[in-house]
Amino acid sequence: MVMQTEPDLLGVQHVDVDVCDRMEQSIDFRLQSRQSDLAWVDIKEGLTHWRIWLLLAYQDIKLRYRRSILGPFWITLSMAITVYSMGFLYGHLFRTDLNQYYPFLVAGMLAWAFISTVITEQTEAFIGAENYIKQIKLPYTLYIHRIVTKNIIIFFHNILVMLPIYFIFHESIKINFYTLLLIPGFLVLYFNAMTYGLILAMTCARYRDVSQLVKSLIQIVFFLTPVMWSPAVLPPNKQFLISLNPFYSFLELIRAPLLGVAPTFFHLAIVLGATILGAFFAMRLFVPHRSRIVYWL
Amino acid sequence: MAMIDLNGVSIIFPVYNVSARSFKKDFLRMATGGSVVEDAKHRVVVHALQNISLSLRDGDRVGLIGHNGAGKSTLLRLLARIYEPALGYAKIEGRVSPMLDITHSMEDEFTGRENIAVRGAIFGLTHQEIQEKIAEIADFSGLGDYLSMPMRTYSSGMFVRLAFAIASCIEPDILLIDEVFGAGDADFMEKARKKMVTLLNQSNIVVMANHADDVIRQFCNKAVYLEGGQVKYFGDVNTAFELYKEEL
Repeated sequence: MVMQTEPDLLGVQHVDVDVCDRMEQSIDFRLQSRQSDLAWVDIKEGLTHWRIWLLLAYQDIKLRYRRSILGPFWITLSMAITVYSMGFLYGHLFRTDLNQYYPFLVAGMLAWAFISTVITEQTEAFIGAENYIKQIKLPYTLYIHRIVTKNIIIFFHNILVMLPIYFIFHESIKINFYTLLLIPGFLVLYFNAMTYGLILAMTCARYRDVSQLVKSLIQIVFFLTPVMWSPAVLPPNKQFLISLNPFYSFLELIRAPLLGVAPTFFHLAIVLGATILGAFFAMRLFVPHRSRIVYWL
Repeated sequence: MAMIDLNGVSIIFPVYNVSARSFKKDFLRMATGGSVVEDAKHRVVVHALQNISLSLRDGDRVGLIGHNGAGKSTLLRLLARIYEPALGYAKIEGRVSPMLDITHSMEDEFTGRENIAVRGAIFGLTHQEIQEKIAEIADFSGLGDYLSMPMRTYSSGMFVRLAFAIASCIEPDILLIDEVFGAGDADFMEKARKKMVTLLNQSNIVVMANHADDVIRQFCNKAVYLEGGQVKYFGDVNTAFELYKEEL
């Protein structure tokens, strides 16, 4: 294990503006490349320490359901109660064909539950791991992996809710070849949950208000994204507005395969764009500020 | 084989007060064209370590001496690679075991055994190694069957005994100790002391901070006298203590 850090002016920059001003002329490209090496080491070690985050993710779930009889199947049960009753209520409220609407809503809710929980929990990724970060050196990306993995495990508990739907509504949805697209879909989502998670975890560790802001915004996004309602109910001249919502496209990565169809190329294009943006901004934040995270806690 | 080289290392801590941490303030400052600047300038910066240069090699047993707030714990965290230098150059080679706060990340709801598994994985032990250590830890901590009970049922003494047993079962190249001598009751303290001595002898480099002079005098062959984040003296233990006493 070797750690080499040469004068890190980028780090100082956030600490003490005066120090930075004095030293500005000596900023050297070599120093920045040192920080980017350390960031890559963090990312690489985050992957090689998979045993730790897998264990922590597993323990997080176990901890929550300790001493309850159903254990983690409470996740499935509470999801089932929510989506089945919502499906019934909104199906009648919107006066839609339940054969279409019920599977659409349940699959959409499963996807949304994954996306929204990852987002809200990532805001606490570093704050919640304070006692680890301050006591032992582990890669920062490890705590981001931990939350994504935990939610993937939860998703695969929740997916059981779909089984009765496949059975009851077997005429309108099917398990077919397209269902397998869940796997690449999750790979893409994992990557994005990492990059956007890193951005959120860092921002929220530094600015504690952002965490609250994100939690309230995500509620609004839920209504703005076609989870409960189908985009088809919108007038045709308004539909383009919804297609600009990237949450919709990410949602489709899970919902479409669950309903036995492929996500459209349009959604894939939006996802690709968002993925590149996320990776770019995550690195822009992580490289210069990585070594400061511990001081924000 | 372990080595520590610090060259002109400084650690600068930002201390965020409530107002500086809030996004609203930064936003307000931008929106109002800087009229709330005084508020944001309340940002406090602590120079926790200044221009530290140290070179440690195999066989060094170093005691850190200094008042509260002199930078002992910060230096230990730097050596544990938790803090990275803001200025200067640090090279640390070897497996580090930071015995800083030995009870950290212990989960009350989990059994002793589960806590061993988590902590073991964090310290980089394989599943196999953890299984081997469990018997050793059970024996050393004297907890026996209690290891299968949730830790919330433990007395505080048992808690510390287990934490110590876990932390001390790691065999590092570089051992960092922050005030962990004397855990548990008198009986266990003796046992813990013996274990620490073994651990000290096994490790290539040891750096410890301790308030009890005799511990450092007994185990260390070098001492660092820290004052206000700076190294006032590095070398012989007795000389360091003399200088420290003069200050008092």
